[in-house]
Amino acid sequence: MNHWNRLWKFGSLLLLAYVILRGFSTPLQPGLVEAEPNSLSAGTQDISFVAVGQPFLRPGEGMEAFELILKSGTALLKTELTSVEAHRVSATIEVPTTLPSPALDAYLFTPSAGTLFLGNAFFVEDAEKGPLPSHLTASIPQESEPHLGFSFPYQPNIMESIRNLLWHVPMWFAMFFVMGIGFVASLAQLRTGNVNWDHRAEAAVRTGLVFGILGLITGSLWARWTWGAWWVSDPQLNGALVTVLLYSGYMILRAAMGDDDRVGRLSAVYNVFAFVMLVILLMVLPRYTESLHPGKDGNPGFNSYDLDNSLRAVFYPAVIGWGALCYWIYTLRLRMNRIEYRLLTQ
Amino acid sequence: MGTGFPSIMKTAIAVANMEWRLEWRQGHQLASVGLFAVASVYVAFQAADRETAAGAWTAMLWLVYLFSGFTAVGRLFDRERSATRQYLQWAIHPMGLILGKLTHAILTTTALTALVLAAFVLFLGWPSGLETASKPGLLILSAWLGGFSMTTTLVFVTAMASQIQSGNGALGAVLGLPLLLPQLILVTRLTRGALDGTPWGMLGELPLFLAALSAGTSVIACILFPYIWRA
Repeated sequence: MNHWNRLWKFGSLLLLAYVILRGFSTPLQPGLVEAEPNSLSAGTQDISFVAVGQPFLRPGEGMEAFELILKSGTALLKTELTSVEAHRVSATIEVPTTLPSPALDAYLFTPSAGTLFLGNAFFVEDAEKGPLPSHLTASIPQESEPHLGFSFPYQPNIMESIRNLLWHVPMWFAMFFVMGIGFVASLAQLRTGNVNWDHRAEAAVRTGLVFGILGLITGSLWARWTWGAWWVSDPQLNGALVTVLLYSGYMILRAAMGDDDRVGRLSAVYNVFAFVMLVILLMVLPRYTESLHPGKDGNPGFNSYDLDNSLRAVFYPAVIGWGALCYWIYTLRLRMNRIEYRLLTQ
Repeated sequence: MGTGFPSIMKTAIAVANMEWRLEWRQGHQLASVGLFAVASVYVAFQAADRETAAGAWTAMLWLVYLFSGFTAVGRLFDRERSATRQYLQWAIHPMGLILGKLTHAILTTTALTALVLAAFVLFLGWPSGLETASKPGLLILSAWLGGFSMTTTLVFVTAMASQIQSGNGALGAVLGLPLLLPQLILVTRLTRGALDGTPWGMLGELPLFLAALSAGTSVIACILFPYIWRA
């Protein structure tokens, strides 16, 4: 029993060490971020792209292995590459006077990083609607499978901040987990009136509150990076904030009651109410309203992140690691509650 | 002390009736809520001076309404702090008591809705740029539904706060506000839509959510109330 206790605690620390090391040292797959200039007009012009992530130019690869194609409607417009650097591609392009669509998407075919895509890279200002002249039409080159080794997927807007997935999401999972323990403990408290269950409920809510606040902070950082603001009015975010406020109310209720005999029963009542609200706020309402937050909009899973295998290999350990750490903190708090109670009643 | 459904309903009606009579006998309490509401609207009017955008109008309406609601519902269990409470604990089923109190509180808030809305339109007029609300019916519905759902939660919180001897006046508001935030988020959106004519397609689900949320909270409140009430 004792060995097992030590095993899971140190196991959780090991997992978290792995998550932090792997999460911050794994490189990001390359992605196109920006195209210059913003708008094009008919005639021959120079264009260039800025990329982030790992360099897509590997040692021993020449420019001739790359190909850049612009897509207008369904037609493909060819370009002539002039230089390929670690994070920059330049090319010349002949823009015709007639195009199927003035908005151009860019596809960069690379030998080892797969095909990079940038939607609406350019806008051709004076283009007339018409077919693409046949001498400018490109054909689709041979696509290569990406083989960059262990790396995280590139997502537009999210970019390097994808590593936050290993903090933000597991922290909310951990909060749900201990709040669930608290809910069950409060139900048991109401059924039996045993003070032991009250100790469990208090420890669970206190620990869950810490993880909820951490989830809010990491979420706020992420929102600043991807949406441009520390906080936005969004069903998921409102629900998260209200949840944290609700459980702060639980702590205030307990503090206001002091060592009143009824603190266990009253706070258990409040906790049951709060947990039902938590389920409604975080799991029901956001699913039926429009939300910026990923994983919503009818799709409850986190599939919208397109978790690929490299991310899964770190994400699942993160979920287990944070969950176990959270449970560990809960058990410590529970022990404190019991000792305090024993000292008080002696 | 019967436990069957008809007997509980009979108790609930009796409790609501008793509350109603006591309210009229001590008229000053009802009047003080009305005074608070009208005075708050007048302060809003002084600050805004008939130049209010729809957003600010909605915000002020709900702040006034929220705090009037706190004063109206916050004293619901005041009487039960004395020996009356022990008598009621012994004599009637808690479910009947909470249902009766709830009925009484909802009637009070309905009157409050009418008063606050009327005072708002009288003093502040409609938000600048609007001749009248685009959907007056929906505006009234949103105010009433918001008040209804506010009341169900507040009755629960007040019952809990009344159990605590020290400083419960503020505690009811402190515990109540976070519990009310979801309802307020939904209802302010609905009021805003009713004012500036958001099409039905974009509002359609909001009243439904609000009704579901208040139904849910009142059911949980009724189930949990006996645990609060039991000595």
